[in-house]
Amino acid sequence: MPIYEQTYRRYEARGPLRRVRFWPITREALRLLLERKAFLLLLVAAWAPFLVRLIQVYVVTRFPEAGRVLPVDGRLFGQFLNGQLVFTLFLSIFGGAGLVANDLRTGAILVYLSRPLTRRDYVLGKLGVLLLLNLSATLAPGFVLYGAALGLAPDQFAAWDLAWIGPAVALHSLVVSGVVSVVALAVSSLSRSARVAGLGFFGLMAGLEVASGIVGGIFRSPGSTLLSVQASLRAIGNALFGIAERGAPLHWIYPASVLALVAAGCLLVLRARVRAVEVVR
Amino acid sequence: MSDIEEGPLVEFSDLEVSYGPLQALAGVSGAFAAGATGLLGPNGAGKTTFLKTLLGFLRPDRGRLSAFGLDPVRQPLEVRRRVGYMPEVDCHMAGMTAAAFVAFAGELSGMPRSDAISRAHEVLYYVGLGEARYRTLETYSTGMKQRVKLAQALVHDPDLLLLDEPTNGLDPAGRQEMLALIRDVSERRRMSLILCSHLLRDVEEVCGSVIVFNQGKLAAAGRIGDLTGPRRSVYEVRVKGDAAAFLTDLKDEGCEWREAEDSYRVFLAGGAGPELIFRIAGRCGVQVRHLRPGTESLEDVFLRALGHETVAS
Repeated sequence: MPIYEQTYRRYEARGPLRRVRFWPITREALRLLLERKAFLLLLVAAWAPFLVRLIQVYVVTRFPEAGRVLPVDGRLFGQFLNGQLVFTLFLSIFGGAGLVANDLRTGAILVYLSRPLTRRDYVLGKLGVLLLLNLSATLAPGFVLYGAALGLAPDQFAAWDLAWIGPAVALHSLVVSGVVSVVALAVSSLSRSARVAGLGFFGLMAGLEVASGIVGGIFRSPGSTLLSVQASLRAIGNALFGIAERGAPLHWIYPASVLALVAAGCLLVLRARVRAVEVVR
Repeated sequence: MSDIEEGPLVEFSDLEVSYGPLQALAGVSGAFAAGATGLLGPNGAGKTTFLKTLLGFLRPDRGRLSAFGLDPVRQPLEVRRRVGYMPEVDCHMAGMTAAAFVAFAGELSGMPRSDAISRAHEVLYYVGLGEARYRTLETYSTGMKQRVKLAQALVHDPDLLLLDEPTNGLDPAGRQEMLALIRDVSERRRMSLILCSHLLRDVEEVCGSVIVFNQGKLAAAGRIGDLTGPRRSVYEVRVKGDAAAFLTDLKDEGCEWREAEDSYRVFLAGGAGPELIFRIAGRCGVQVRHLRPGTESLEDVFLRALGHETVAS
């Protein structure tokens, strides 16, 4: 086939390097994800518990006696966000498993890293995808629920002593989304197959949860919470929203430290795996 | 964008790069001038390592490397925005159309989105994928994938194009088309490029000069015309009789030779002519069945640089 189009022209408008370089990576990956109808359904499903909680708030504000069975206070938000944890896991599996794995499989990592981008830009871009997805299942419904509660029961929620709920919702959502996202991305970077990465992430999270339950059952120790990422996140949520735990509660500093270590470990994994040159020693 | 600049685009001196204990580049020095330059060498010679060091992926253990006067270690982003890289390995993004992929590559290079989209269409037409640009990359043939790799390297209009084995996996017709494109980029668009290949003919067709690496060292460098010029007389010789004695005598007379398919390529030194071949043949009692003059090709230069001459297989 001869060269039949001679439309190539020099590009004269080269500008300075961008300061925020990761955003096109996040935007393009989100666009590809949101083209999948099944994934959109999952995003919609992640808002189902919000509707249930909204009805709860509505019922209790209209029929105060229902508040004895379904109390509406700060704990409601903690329980809601702890419940949303499962959706962050599914969103991370279906939206995040292929984020790095596919780039490693198809060699696209070279396309990214041969551009004026650092490895940090690449990781931030990919992490941004998971953070936005997970925040859409935690922070967004959490804030909307808080807004609805303020609107429906201003006497109850607009009080100064409950002003902490908004910041607590934001903090817990960020912790849950941040930890789950960074773990999912690290697992994605460990494989060249999105399927393997997805199964690996699910196996890791479910396996640690089961192990934590077994150890807790045998030793009756609150320390078993630390074995599981989800249990540690729930423990922080419980501490933030004042939800009573069965047995002796674990001080929040322990699960917070474990989660910080897990996140740091995942960042180290990403640092080792996200490379343009793979050195086999 | 800038026109082809005066002086070398890439300079390197005493460059050493290692992968752990394995030294991939061992103190190489040289320069790539503006225009098309071939980077030749057998597998494992250090060609790809050099390109990856140039892109700032690898940090040299020693020595100096600069591109456009910039240090790829200290200013990798500045270097990369002026370079277009077509990797040897397959590289596409799952689920993307060619148009989206090339536009995305442009955006990653710092182009505004609208510019990147319009450039992507232009460049895809240029490489001959205009009609197929809305197909997902997974449906592309090997030849089309090579073209889209070239398109993503061109989209931001780099000052220097790094092409790592661009004809890999292509059939002869596809190879010719790819080389025609690369030649057009270099000659008509006046874009400088480094063509990294182990295929001598590819380099000969496109490049004006060449740098040869072998086992991490610089084996030869210069303009192809100078390297392959009439410095030595070359004859294709076929003999009948005691070839070993004939070849030994040739060597004793200061000539070099290497085996070709069913003949020998004999390189005569010191302005000697074919009469020397006949004289030696007569002395050794062998018949010269075929004698054809030739010119020293890039392959000869390459093999000589690698030390493959006068070594009987």
